[in-house]
Amino acid sequence: MKKILSIFLCVFVISSLLCLCGCEEETLKPTQKFFINDFADVVDEADEETIYNKGAELAEKTKAQVVVVTVETTNGDEISDYALNLGREWGVGDKEKNNGVVILLASEDRQVYISVGYGLEGALPDSKTGRILDNYGTPYFKNDNFSVGLVSVYNAVLDEIYVEYGFEPSESYVPADDLPEAVEEGSSATTVIVSWLILLVIIILYSLFFRRRGIILLPFGFGSGNGNNHFGGFGSGGGFGGFSGGGGSFGGGGAGRGF
Amino acid sequence: MKKGIKVLIIVLAIVLVIAIPTISSYNGLVSSQEKVNNAKSQISTQLQRRADLIPNFVKTVKGYSDYESETYIAVTEARSAVNNANSVSKQQEASEELDKAISVFVNAVTENYPELKASEQYTALLDELAGTENRLAVARKDYNDVAESYNVSIKKFPRSIIAGIFGFEKVDYFENAEGTDQVPEVSFE
Repeated sequence: MKKILSIFLCVFVISSLLCLCGCEEETLKPTQKFFINDFADVVDEADEETIYNKGAELAEKTKAQVVVVTVETTNGDEISDYALNLGREWGVGDKEKNNGVVILLASEDRQVYISVGYGLEGALPDSKTGRILDNYGTPYFKNDNFSVGLVSVYNAVLDEIYVEYGFEPSESYVPADDLPEAVEEGSSATTVIVSWLILLVIIILYSLFFRRRGIILLPFGFGSGNGNNHFGGFGSGGGFGGFSGGGGSFGGGGAGRGF
Repeated sequence: MKKGIKVLIIVLAIVLVIAIPTISSYNGLVSSQEKVNNAKSQISTQLQRRADLIPNFVKTVKGYSDYESETYIAVTEARSAVNNANSVSKQQEASEELDKAISVFVNAVTENYPELKASEQYTALLDELAGTENRLAVARKDYNDVAESYNVSIKKFPRSIIAGIFGFEKVDYFENAEGTDQVPEVSFE
């Protein structure tokens, strides 16, 4: 009996070890500071604090979350995918407003990408995000001045979000009305898209509803709610104020640069 | 009389035992089918978004020159095909054409007008274009993910029976046609 038990135990331990090796996928976990996750160790202590304080203030005022992540390399992944996955896994941004932004810098790959959550695609369209990187980021990043560059990009992104939510931006803010004319028209394209989406949803719901009703009449009504897999809520209370992802979702918006 | 009630209870119990799992499976299938549909409409939205960007793009290029050529005509034609598409599959097809036309156009333009590359407007539009490509890729991947879990769920026993009865059919995965996953190559100096 004991023998059987010990064999069983052995098998269990070995298989769980195998599982650990086999299925352990390296997913980064947010640090205590949440808004600044300097895994590549390229940001100064003081700048980290600046970013954290500004990020926390923004989150308190608007619920928007802007998260900086630095890594040495994305291990061959597209930087846009990598940033998107971080945003989705950490649930950056508010669950309802989807107002998260991930600023990802890969110092060895010499790439930077800003991934924008659904809810901020209006305030930070790809063209504006690209321009922020051009104006505030790449000039510093080219000279390995990552810390200064990230702070200035962070400020620029925060200003856009403050303006979007009707707050006063910082003094250094350059308003976006110097945007090229053609890009301004992009906003009319956005309305077209939104109306398209609404129309599509209506059509789909309509056709589904009528098809169903023809076939069967259920006493309980149908649909079991779409299970949302977002992790929500603030939790994890750490020494640093304890911010964590609010469950925002990302759809692939944003822009990136090599430097 | 007593016997009648007994029979009734047994029948009711059997009905419940069959009905409850049926209803819950059915509802599960409906919601996962809905996710598939939603993901599909996302793809469609992004395709439309891209088609909407083209006029801006062309306008910017025209600001620099009277750029009219076969490549330009191909783009506008492909774009109107996307707009006129009346089904998702037709929209997909037309978008693939548009894809090819855009990348030919972009290459032709950047070759002929190097100074255009430096312009802020052009950079902004290429950012929008690249962002749309990225959204499209994400939407397609998300679609394939939900389509996979839906397809698995209609094949698994015992849901497969319910799926069969109510006509839940397997959905196709989205596969990129040759070359359409190529984003127009742009380099930012």
